[in-house]
Amino acid sequence: MEAKEVIDELKTILVARLKFDPRRAAEVAETTPLPKGVEGSIGLDSLDFIELSIAIEEKFDVVMDESEDLSAHFASFDTLSRFIVGRRGPA
Amino acid sequence: MDRRAVVVTGVGVVNSVVVGASPALGAWLAQPRAAARVAVGHGRPAARLPEATLAGLVDPAEGRRLSRVCQLTIAAARLAVAESGVDPACGLGLVVGTELGDFTSTIAFADGYLARGAAGLSALLFPNTVMNTMAATTAIAVAARELALTLNVPTVAGELAVARGFAAVASGRVDAVLAGGVDELDPLVAEMLDALGDDAVRGEGATFLVLEAEAVARARGAAVLGRIDGAAWRSLAARPWGVGRRAESRAIDEARRRAGGRVPGFVYASASGDAERDGWESRVLAAALGDVPPAASLGALLGQHGGLGALRVAAAAWTARSGLLPDDAGGPPARVSGPGLVHGLARGGGHVALMVSAA
Amino acid sequence: MRRVVVTGLGAVTPFGAGIKPYWAGLAGGACAIRPLTLIDAGGFRCRIAAEVPGATGGSPRRSRADRLALGAALEALEDAGLTAADRADTALVTGAVGGGMLEAEAWYWARARGERPPGWAAALRAILPGSHAETLGHRLGLGGPRHTVVTACSSGAVALAEAADLIADGVVDVALAGGVDAMTRMCFMGFNALKLLDPEPCRPFDRDRRGMSIGEGAAFVVLETAERARARGVRVYAELAGHGMTTDAFHVTAPEPEGDGMVRAMRAALAAAGESAAAVGYVNAHGTATSQNDRIEARAIARVFGEGRLLVSSIKSMIGHTMAAAGGLEAVATILTLTEALIPPTATLVTPDPEVAFDCVPGVAREAAVECAISNSFGFGGQNVTLLFRHAAS
Repeated sequence: MEAKEVIDELKTILVARLKFDPRRAAEVAETTPLPKGVEGSIGLDSLDFIELSIAIEEKFDVVMDESEDLSAHFASFDTLSRFIVGRRGPA
Repeated sequence: MDRRAVVVTGVGVVNSVVVGASPALGAWLAQPRAAARVAVGHGRPAARLPEATLAGLVDPAEGRRLSRVCQLTIAAARLAVAESGVDPACGLGLVVGTELGDFTSTIAFADGYLARGAAGLSALLFPNTVMNTMAATTAIAVAARELALTLNVPTVAGELAVARGFAAVASGRVDAVLAGGVDELDPLVAEMLDALGDDAVRGEGATFLVLEAEAVARARGAAVLGRIDGAAWRSLAARPWGVGRRAESRAIDEARRRAGGRVPGFVYASASGDAERDGWESRVLAAALGDVPPAASLGALLGQHGGLGALRVAAAAWTARSGLLPDDAGGPPARVSGPGLVHGLARGGGHVALMVSAA
Repeated sequence: MRRVVVTGLGAVTPFGAGIKPYWAGLAGGACAIRPLTLIDAGGFRCRIAAEVPGATGGSPRRSRADRLALGAALEALEDAGLTAADRADTALVTGAVGGGMLEAEAWYWARARGERPPGWAAALRAILPGSHAETLGHRLGLGGPRHTVVTACSSGAVALAEAADLIADGVVDVALAGGVDAMTRMCFMGFNALKLLDPEPCRPFDRDRRGMSIGEGAAFVVLETAERARARGVRVYAELAGHGMTTDAFHVTAPEPEGDGMVRAMRAALAAAGESAAAVGYVNAHGTATSQNDRIEARAIARVFGEGRLLVSSIKSMIGHTMAAAGGLEAVATILTLTEALIPPTATLVTPDPEVAFDCVPGVAREAAVECAISNSFGFGGQNVTLLFRHAAS
């Protein structure tokens, strides 16, 4: 799976599970910051990130271990898609 | 102990026929028309709020994670706070009465698991499965940082919330409290109510009142919409979900005693179309008041929901000001005077009384 | 303002039915967190919880939560020696969250399989949290004010605070107040979804804590005016001298990071009781063993009471987080701490978190005579409450 496909799936998750307006989700760029409080971000908070990680585990069959600090990977769709592709290993 | 006078300084109503603050409620009360009914569940006719109404009240970005019943609560709460002009930073309490809570989210949360197992569970929905979700989200929306209670009881949730809010202000624990009730209609809930033999006319919506210590409200120059002269809640003997036989009301006696023993000139009762319960309430009112003065309930017009009891308190303040009591059947209003009694009696025995006057 | 004292205690806990086994379990530092049996935990990382053992008494037609509540309420009323006439004027305040959800879930799960199981009407009638109050009021003949409060995980403690207000304000002289929750799929699945459950028994205030454990139970207490208790010549366990209720207004699940709401609740309880911070010797902590709660709560306690000096423990290490019952059960534990001069331990605590600046009584109960103790309860949505109990001899 390529980063592009992963990002498309992440946008689907944004709408289906995080209840984003589809137009708003479509506007999110690879480098748009995700976490609330960061300039220009889409405003995700801790609860959104839990929801997102459950959806990622289900969709991409990877394990998000809560004892690991994964916050750096949740900076943007760019970092997140690379993390997911890395965790899945070679197709 | 400290017994402060308590006044109403703001009203917020969101239901299928009234959306707004006290002027909007007053306009409807002057010429009440019944909410349109739609079929819910297995065809139960009920008054349901059009989705467009809500969309205009809560910003979509803010509303992304708010369930519908939380949005109803926040919208009505904000209208009440705005009308009152109270500054939440001075210490604002919150009391939310609800019969059913956020069943829609609870069902959606369960459905996620039943469809897809653990991965289908939504972390975002889970907080909504606990009934305090409306209070939690509303406290954030209006910056209410003192006590924030959610009270659960059938039929009288709104009346009880206002009575509890009154006690918090009267005792001096807080200077201002946002009190009211909310419920929404979910198709599965309608099915449940059918199964339980509930034949009340159902509606949905939220009504909130800002209650303040009169001295504090006057000092800041707030417009006073009415005064709550006394409030009390008790329980009458009844089986769970049942209708009792006893008719002596200590709640009415206590609310009237707190109001200086005054005789109500009108009554807002909790009649809802549930024949057994309505009959019991009639007997309780007759036992307490002897000759029952003109009474209205608005139940058939708006449909029973947790917000209705709070709406009746706001309506009683309007009636005390205007001398007009709406007719439940749509006829001309009755001319009444003096303070009013807002009365609620629930299956199971929950029982609330409030005395309301023009300030 | 009239003084409010505790004259009756009742509990049904993961240690069994009754105050005696409850206190024996706490004093002995026993951990009652075991593999789940009431619901199917397949597919979840965490599969343990603290369940009430054995058959719960009472009619099987009642919900499990109603049966737990009735057991605890009857014990408290009997302990206080309230007559039927007393009960007719007794207030009832119940803290509840799950209601009869366990039975309603069984119905809904079967419905999803296309079945129509028997007893569904009864299950639906008892589904709401307010239904326990109806059952208790009817069964126990309680005719005073009655209400049910839902403030998530602090509901049981809020119920005691509400009842104390009714008495202090002169509305009633006597009240029965407490909290109840039975295990439910909703609760178990929800905390799993939030990734807040430790697969092993929870370790509050431990450096290596990994989340909470869920429990179930019920606790009720009889509160009355000091004057009335004296006139009746009954045993006074402790005085409920003050409480504070505040709201974070910050986030639906996360506590406010500085613990401001918690600090305000603790300070309000001190002010209501007319006590200085120095008078308090023990904090029965909310102590859920989540990374955030324990760190923020410890910081908030330090802001109010200073670091060090105080003993702090979390009995959730033994009976898990019993949800709406927790505030009631922890109030009972705090009261018994005063009467028995023994601090229940944080039983599973091995490696204290260096960020927690208190002696959290690891492993074994500690003998200590305390004049005043507080019990903290914090619910989702930033619903904070602190109860302050004073020794009866004070």
